[in-house]
Amino acid sequence: MSSYIQHLVEGKIDFEGQKAVEKIAHNALIAVTAISFLLGLALQSLRVTFGAYGLGVTILFLTVIPAWPIFNKHPVVWLPAQETKKDK
Amino acid sequence: MHSVYARINNVSATLSTSLMILLAAIACSSFLFTANPTGSVNISSVKVFSAEARRYPNRQQEFAFVDFNITADLSPLFNWNTKQLFVYLEAQYTNTQGVQNEVVIWDRIVVRKEDALLNYAGKNKYPFRELSKKFKNIPPANYTLKYNLMPYVGLLTYGEAARTTAPVAFPLAKERVE
Repeated sequence: MSSYIQHLVEGKIDFEGQKAVEKIAHNALIAVTAISFLLGLALQSLRVTFGAYGLGVTILFLTVIPAWPIFNKHPVVWLPAQETKKDK
Repeated sequence: MHSVYARINNVSATLSTSLMILLAAIACSSFLFTANPTGSVNISSVKVFSAEARRYPNRQQEFAFVDFNITADLSPLFNWNTKQLFVYLEAQYTNTQGVQNEVVIWDRIVVRKEDALLNYAGKNKYPFRELSKKFKNIPPANYTLKYNLMPYVGLLTYGEAARTTAPVAFPLAKERVE
């Protein structure tokens, strides 16, 4: 149980997941900024702009901040432990 | 490997950059909306009275009283980035020392687009005095209706909506109201 909580709080993901998160966050933020600007400009409302921006950012945070299992699909495979003299 | 905190740090750094870009884009979008509202200012009468100056006992000073009509449609100035308009009527004249004076004699804050159709008749809201205490020999004044557009994000912009067609002269001061 405690290890599960620790996993939730630390939320470590593997290197592949890390790469994916960075790519998603970068592209999503550019898209959210552009879409919310154009939407507000079209509807002539700053409320729409910041509403869309806030919604987009919230969804982005929910997607990339928790350690979803999809970001942990490529665990690091360690080499088997080598026998040392002490173990003999 | 990345923990939750590293990811929050990473994403919020990019987030602040994107927010700045969004705000800059909104500020720049104001330049897309070029409105040139027009209206008219009519001065129906200017009266000058001599009175005791405020705060200074035994000092006589002249006060001008201006009656005017304003009509202007400022609604084209309202776009998505307009917070409010500060509309003001300014008296412009060169005094006897050759100094260009601009005196705000009336103003109004327009917050909603529905209120942007100005149609006002009245007199000056603020005391209209001359620094030299007298309006005698002062050349006729022009009255202009100006506006100051205050955006949510971006730069303040100033503009002129209307101007009297001909300068209006100051009459001689009267001692009492007839």
